[in-house]
Amino acid sequence: MILRDALLAMLPEHVLLAGIVLLLVAEIAALPGRAAAPIALVAVVAAAGAGLWLSATGFTAAPFEGAYAIAPFGSAAKAILLVLAVPILLTAPGDLAGYRAYALVLSSLYGALLINGAESFTILFVGIELMSLPVYALAVVSFRRDEGAEAALKYLVLGGAGSAMLLMGAALVFGSGGDLSLAAFADALVAEDLLARAGVALVVGALFVKAAIAPFHAWAPDVYEAASVPVTAYMAVVVKAAVLFAALRLFRAAALPVELVDLVVLFSLASVVWGNLAAMRQASLRRTIAYSSIAHAGYLFYAFLDPGPGRPAAIAFYAIAYGLSNLLAFAAIPPAEDDAARDRLEDLRGLFSRRPFAAIAIAIAMLSLAGVPPLPGFTAKFFLFNNAMIAGYTAYAVAGLVASYLGLYFYLRVIQILFASPSEAAAGEPRGLRAAALVATVLCLVGTLLLSVLPGWLVDRLAG
Amino acid sequence: MAEALVLNALVYLPLAGLLAILLVPRRREGAAKWIALAATTIQLGLGCLLYARFDGSNPGLQFVTDLPWIAAWGVHYIVGLDGLNLLLVLLTVFLGPLVVLGSFTAIRAQIRLFYSMLLLVQFAMLGTFAAQDLFLFFVFWEAMVVPMFFIIGIWGGERRVYATMKFVLYTAAGSILMLAAAIYLVVAGHAATGSFSFAFEDLYRLALPFEAQAIMFAAFAIAFAIKVPMVPLHTWLPDAHVEAPTAGSVVLAGVLLKMGTYGFLKLGLPLFPDAVRAASPALMALSTAGILYGACLALVQTDIKKIVAYSSISHLGYVMLGLFSFSLLAVQGAVIQMISHGLVAGGLFLMVGMIYERRHTRDLAAYGGLAKIMPIYSVFFMLLTLASIGLPATSGFTGEFMVLLGSFTESLRVYRETGATLPLAASAAAIAGVAIGALYMLWLAERFLFGKPRVECAPPADLGRREKLILGAIVAAIFWIGLYPQPLLEKTEPAVHRLLDLVAAARTDDGGAP
Repeated sequence: MILRDALLAMLPEHVLLAGIVLLLVAEIAALPGRAAAPIALVAVVAAAGAGLWLSATGFTAAPFEGAYAIAPFGSAAKAILLVLAVPILLTAPGDLAGYRAYALVLSSLYGALLINGAESFTILFVGIELMSLPVYALAVVSFRRDEGAEAALKYLVLGGAGSAMLLMGAALVFGSGGDLSLAAFADALVAEDLLARAGVALVVGALFVKAAIAPFHAWAPDVYEAASVPVTAYMAVVVKAAVLFAALRLFRAAALPVELVDLVVLFSLASVVWGNLAAMRQASLRRTIAYSSIAHAGYLFYAFLDPGPGRPAAIAFYAIAYGLSNLLAFAAIPPAEDDAARDRLEDLRGLFSRRPFAAIAIAIAMLSLAGVPPLPGFTAKFFLFNNAMIAGYTAYAVAGLVASYLGLYFYLRVIQILFASPSEAAAGEPRGLRAAALVATVLCLVGTLLLSVLPGWLVDRLAG
Repeated sequence: MAEALVLNALVYLPLAGLLAILLVPRRREGAAKWIALAATTIQLGLGCLLYARFDGSNPGLQFVTDLPWIAAWGVHYIVGLDGLNLLLVLLTVFLGPLVVLGSFTAIRAQIRLFYSMLLLVQFAMLGTFAAQDLFLFFVFWEAMVVPMFFIIGIWGGERRVYATMKFVLYTAAGSILMLAAAIYLVVAGHAATGSFSFAFEDLYRLALPFEAQAIMFAAFAIAFAIKVPMVPLHTWLPDAHVEAPTAGSVVLAGVLLKMGTYGFLKLGLPLFPDAVRAASPALMALSTAGILYGACLALVQTDIKKIVAYSSISHLGYVMLGLFSFSLLAVQGAVIQMISHGLVAGGLFLMVGMIYERRHTRDLAAYGGLAKIMPIYSVFFMLLTLASIGLPATSGFTGEFMVLLGSFTESLRVYRETGATLPLAASAAAIAGVAIGALYMLWLAERFLFGKPRVECAPPADLGRREKLILGAIVAAIFWIGLYPQPLLEKTEPAVHRLLDLVAAARTDDGGAP
């Protein structure tokens, strides 16, 4: 029975692992490449289903005592990350080729799942690295232009620096408390010990690097711009959400010590302001989205001001809402022969007259990211700032809200370009939208609209 | 119960129309305007039905739907009407089909998108007026901006990009502050009562300390003042109006500007009574400044549309003046003035659009002697001019007269009791605004309609049947309110009385305004 429980407890992970093995076997057997996307898709959907089921039944277990635990919220977080990967896999064919690329995506997802069960620093670190390393490779494998390799290198070096900070921080915390468990880290947050404090500072810094919080954000725009669309989408949505879930596990339900609150808010506000300001001047859609995601990471760290049960709920809601909106934008970008043509904002000029559906989808995504109600981006932001005010940080919440106003301009600018009269020469006139990409767009659109009309359904489930 | 369904149907009908428009194939996109016309006309019918069923003696909400929406935050989907909301809903549904009709020939590009956006803004406006929950109110309030962004940004004039950005950034700046204050308000409500609630009725009952009221009122007031627009937050309005297509201008002047005054009346006054009373002399002074400033700027414009736009600033100053004098007469007058301005300014913008379609210029210097060439047009223009000036028997007279009389008596009373001279000076100066109003409107009519005809091209055709229908409806409504405002006053009186009671009730509490 114990074996059965152990199998059941890690069902999402096992399903994903089976998918990876299947992909690698198919690669070795040199089967035709067409089957790669369906295999990966089935594995991810099945794993997501398993995660949802574990979460809905309230399944708890500790397959590896003190190292790995299954709890309803962790299972839900796994399901969220997997579900967000589905539209990316749907839009990937054409950009990703072969079994190897899909095996990389699934491996990365496996790492993201590990994060959500980690009870010790070891597993958390393995999870984060397992999630990041395949993305470095993906940035190279999928590149369609010369900058791909450069971006991958940049990502590798800076991501490596972040990992080193994380390890060093963990080592210092361990040195202070003699314990590698995440519970010990939560204790270290309030410890007076200098060693522990330095460790906490390094770990927080590492999270800031991984989540692209200003001023640790410099890698994000270049990497986002150079990678191909699905890889960019994966980094902006899944990786970012997973890092936030990792932070959630690290901080637990602990109330942050006062000086840490000030620090977190300072960096969050800097991210919001800088991300929004820098986005105004971009000529590339993906760079714009990169800066917007820097700003959004800033809002997300507001969640840590609230020590109550609202914290995980707000982050999970934000991950879903923000992820759906971003994916909608990425999925709706019409395909083009030249990858760069999918990116230049000027090439999207007048998209509405050529492809009304794509233009409307991108416009809805932008409005949601800008936080215009009733779109889910607004509800997500409301959740965060509401929690911050309930926790008593009124001034910080107001500052965040006011800073978020800066973002409106560039989202509107994108919309204005989409609906402007078409330019004379629309370079690289796009081919028709692929069926799978259309499915992905429709899925994200339906999800976005459902969350607009009935946000309560999700909020109540997460907050309940 | 059945009426509650009718109210919901009224609010959501534009969405149904929008879906129908989405199904219209591209080669038959002309059908979109008929769908929009049908949807808005049915709305008008439903609005009349609700008006007939409305119990005028009941000060509370009627036709209420109350469903949990986001239970964890205490957000409810509450829509309902009291007398005040009823009138504004009526104004919106009355202007709806006229705006659609007025766009029939003016809009030639991207027809489906245009009427979709028109229906969307109609939906958002009605939702804002019907919402009785602060979260829901905010959702509709913000949603309004999106279709207006498209209407001005796509079908607008040459500087439309600048105008839309200015419009959106101004209104969003106010909204952000309002959102922050709204969250704070609900959190404060939670601290006081132990439960989260966004319902207006629950928030009205909160007794907040003066300082908290002052901060939150400041945030709400900036949001509303931008929408009104109150001097000095008005500068987006002329740009938006001048660049907007006719339909956009009519929606802006007719309904959107009322959102600000409605917000002050429905939220500002009852939620923060002590702060409002403390701020009222300053707000009365600002309102009067708006009356005079708008009127003076209207005097020197040469673009016909700009004259009407600046006159809006002036006319909404009366509404604000009435609101902040807290006398039943003046506040009732302010409500009538809101409706009246919606009709008169809406009508004038439609007429500017009609002549622009014929001559493609709004420069006053290019016109003259229209009375000889377009007699019917000129008659309608003259009637609207007189209503704008506030000639007796028109709605403008009813509103302005009640506001001026009410605020003057009230400020006289305040002067006798406390010796405060500012309100008295403000109401006295506002009377001067009437004179300037008469000056610029009559001068406009003189240069526009009379004098030597200046017709370089072929004389433009006079009004068609469609245009006569639109203007006839508006003029009929103006005279109806002017001659027989009693039914409207009766329906709004209990609701206005109740809002004023909420302001006055706090007066007896200790910890009130200094």
